[in-house]
Amino acid sequence: MNSLDPRVNRLPAIGQPGQILPKAALDQLGTFEVFVQPKDGKAFQHEGIVHAANRDLAFVLAKEAFTRRFLCTSLFVADTRHVYVSPTTEGNTSAMDQLAEVINQPGTAEAYDIFVLPKRGKQHVHVGQVQAVLPQEAMWKAKQLNLHQGKVVYNVWAIRTADIRFTTEEEKDLWLTLPEKKFRDASDYKGGDKLKEFLERSKTT
Amino acid sequence: MSNLALKEILYKMADDLLVFGHRNSEWTGFGPLLEEDIAFSSMAQDKIGQSQALYQLLHQLGEQEPDTVAFTRNANQFHNCTLVELPNREYDFSLVRHFLFDTADALRWQMLMQSSYTPLAQLAAKVRGELRYHTLHANTWIKQLGSATEESIGRLQQSLNELAPYALGMFERSPYEDQLIADQIYEGEKALEARWQQAIEKTLAQTQLTSPDWKIQTPHLGGRVGEHTEHLQPLLDEMSEVFRIDPGAEW
Repeated sequence: MNSLDPRVNRLPAIGQPGQILPKAALDQLGTFEVFVQPKDGKAFQHEGIVHAANRDLAFVLAKEAFTRRFLCTSLFVADTRHVYVSPTTEGNTSAMDQLAEVINQPGTAEAYDIFVLPKRGKQHVHVGQVQAVLPQEAMWKAKQLNLHQGKVVYNVWAIRTADIRFTTEEEKDLWLTLPEKKFRDASDYKGGDKLKEFLERSKTT
Repeated sequence: MSNLALKEILYKMADDLLVFGHRNSEWTGFGPLLEEDIAFSSMAQDKIGQSQALYQLLHQLGEQEPDTVAFTRNANQFHNCTLVELPNREYDFSLVRHFLFDTADALRWQMLMQSSYTPLAQLAAKVRGELRYHTLHANTWIKQLGSATEESIGRLQQSLNELAPYALGMFERSPYEDQLIADQIYEGEKALEARWQQAIEKTLAQTQLTSPDWKIQTPHLGGRVGEHTEHLQPLLDEMSEVFRIDPGAEW
């Protein structure tokens, strides 16, 4: 291969030219859900997913994938398979009203974190924690406790707290120099005037 | 405190970080998965930022502007260790080098938090969050791949064995070693090397990798006095290509 980018020419050869092998089945890493707290005192909200081999790696990769440019004080991740999801609703129907009553389950209660979707197209927002034996019970409890503050919500998530990889107190250092890294954001590059000039020039020619 | 001794440690740190940052930035766009590509590129950017801050301290001590120092010297004027200039190979190689270098780098900055040279101590306090991330990133990958499959363990082990003599070159003693210690600039390369070996072994003990026998290695020295491998000059040529077209350009 001959590229204008010298790095491309240095890449190690993989396979044989012209020989295309079928892709192995299930060769992708699993996904983890990422939740970010933009400021102290603000609720965590869902930001997206990362692919990773385990929870710790997901945490590490999420830090740069989701908080390399925007304000952040803390983040946490959980395996997508550990997110229990309610039915999704629309219009004036709240997902809370679609939950089945699940109470007094046998077993030991554990902490669950509860998230609601306040608007279609928005992110899930953390609303609190409840003690329950099953995720279904956790959701029902969240409804009884009115964690959604009586508002219509379109979807509810419950994640067992033990399945979440949180930011430790000492890891909060991770975002120490972030406010100085404005160069990582497009807004730091003032191209507006140059663009205007360019557009004016292209109009006249 | 003589400026010569201080400049020596600032130059070797700054050159390590610039060359390492540039080398790692070569992975941008080619990382093994998108998320890792972003993380590795971000860390490379952090390293170059840290080197810029150190060149700025040197500038305050009478050296030339950071850009001039970074882009106009030849290989024999660079004080980086040879570990950081080696060309990338496959990802395991870069990952193991990242682990070996960043473990030492974080410990070095940690020592500098107590430095009697205040500007350096202040800079050390400022960059500690970045270093925490860099070591967390390196350790998490080494723990995962160092215990995952026969292939991943074998690859990491081979890179580890190959890089061991170069890694020891990070601790090449300075002619000002005793003075830097006496003046409490930092605790010196010997103390750093001992602490580094412990930290490396602590992480490797949580994997199926074997720590190289440090006593039988011949350290690859010379980098600190400008004796480099044939790989540094091409890196510098590529890094400064745009700068050299128009050194006076305003960005």
